[in-house]
Amino acid sequence: MKKTAIRVVFGLLLLTYLLTHFLGHAHAQSSLGIGTNEAMVPSTGLFSGFMNWVNAHQQSFYRSLTGALKAMRQDGGKLWILVGLSFGYGVFHAAGPGHGKAVISSYMLANEVALRRGVMLSFVSALLQAATALLVIGLVFLFLRGTSVSMTDATWFLEIASYVLVTLFGAWLLWTKLAPRLAGKLGGAAAHSLSAASAPHVHGPNCGHSRLAYRGAAPGTSSGGFSAEVCEACGHAHLPDPKMLAGDRFDWRSAWSAVAAVGMRPCSGALIVLTFAFLNGLWVGGVLSVLAMALGTAITVSILATLAVTAKNVAVRLAGDGRAGNRIHATIEIGGAALVLLLGLVLLTASLQA
Amino acid sequence: MWSGGPAQVHPHVFAEARLEVTVNPDGTVKALRNLWRFDDVFSSTVLMEFDQNSDLKLDEAELQEVADTVYQSLAEFNYFQMVSRDGKDVAMAPPPSLMVDFQDQQLMIIFETTPKEPLKLAGKLAFGVYDPTFYTAIDFAEDEHMAVAGLPANCTRSVVRPDPDEILAQNQSTLTDAFFNDPSGNNMSKIFATRLELSCGAEG
Repeated sequence: MKKTAIRVVFGLLLLTYLLTHFLGHAHAQSSLGIGTNEAMVPSTGLFSGFMNWVNAHQQSFYRSLTGALKAMRQDGGKLWILVGLSFGYGVFHAAGPGHGKAVISSYMLANEVALRRGVMLSFVSALLQAATALLVIGLVFLFLRGTSVSMTDATWFLEIASYVLVTLFGAWLLWTKLAPRLAGKLGGAAAHSLSAASAPHVHGPNCGHSRLAYRGAAPGTSSGGFSAEVCEACGHAHLPDPKMLAGDRFDWRSAWSAVAAVGMRPCSGALIVLTFAFLNGLWVGGVLSVLAMALGTAITVSILATLAVTAKNVAVRLAGDGRAGNRIHATIEIGGAALVLLLGLVLLTASLQA
Repeated sequence: MWSGGPAQVHPHVFAEARLEVTVNPDGTVKALRNLWRFDDVFSSTVLMEFDQNSDLKLDEAELQEVADTVYQSLAEFNYFQMVSRDGKDVAMAPPPSLMVDFQDQQLMIIFETTPKEPLKLAGKLAFGVYDPTFYTAIDFAEDEHMAVAGLPANCTRSVVRPDPDEILAQNQSTLTDAFFNDPSGNNMSKIFATRLELSCGAEG
């Protein structure tokens, strides 16, 4: 049993690694000095065939997309072609390199998140991404033209902000996963019994470990704000139903930081489409196209995140309810959190170097 | 269609390009004339970004700003040029400046470079124009768009368009190594570029 468990853990870690391996994408000043490029770590290994296929489609979509934009300038009736293509572009863009799905998937791995909620997160973050794109282009178009703030600068700023958030979020996530264990090791029996008592509660592994540990997290992280919330929820963890709501609220708060981290960096495809659309007075077309793109992205991210969580659940189930199961659970959660942190750091470093 | 590049990165910018190689009377390469006409969508991004006075046009000063930005950036990438003779890289002098224009809502960039050392038309010469980062897809739609003015009789001209799928299939492991050894891709990407090849026999 134990052997299987270990194998499953490694299998899962490998899978997560592979899933995120080719996501190492970062800001790069484009070779023309105008616009931003997405420099990427090459996709090699098991998935390269699939990734090449995805990218080939993404390219042809992008080409058709720019073609449809031009066609729409002449004939407003071509709007629906543009919307359809944008949707397709979104689907494939999210399947290609990008940090969104990595953050959402890892977040879901690291937390007890219901699948339905995970899907919701994917949609909200994709919509936020669309909103950011609209906001950036809107601002640039209406106010920033003629100032020294260029679109390239604005995008770069948002990108850095997004990666900083991803990093902080990962650090916080990792802390919440590790601190209780450390505290348990150091603090001994008291913390341990608390965690044991909370075990039947849905939010068991995250919750109820050590109040001190969560408090400790507060000053160091930006997310400190809701650490008190956590403690409160855990303090009442043994009371019936209503407290579940408190737990829910906690989930949402942390979920929001994941959403913000992802959504703050607008997708370059959306920016380009919007710029062209606005300049040519195709307001409705631009907005609809970007929303369609977000929808496509959300669907793909949902599917990937669902895959990740399903794999986790299968692994935990295979390992059974005993210690092995718990250990796997913990390993996956900590691994997921570490992954978010790592991803944030890699992206941020690359972005700042550019 | 767009014809190159490992599929890892997709170009955001498309340019229809023309290259003209001019030849000196003494049979050396005089200059490489490049003309790039960028796609409408990228051009509109440029317009948005550089239209300082918000009149939705790029006037002279604004065009100059575009030229400076691109010029600086391209310097890092050897102005997207790859010239070699018998497989050895030939150093090109940077162009003195870029000419930038905006016609029919399309950005145009024109520039001319010369070899640092006199470059004799002998042996096998290759001229490629490509963006090593694959941000820009430089398209030579027709073979005639890579031309030689005053090609000596002892030279033959051909345009080579590598098939990216084939290259990827054949060089999977080399490309992987190349990526990790040279993340900027400056060295490996040239094999994807459309190139003009001149084979020149002994002068006679």
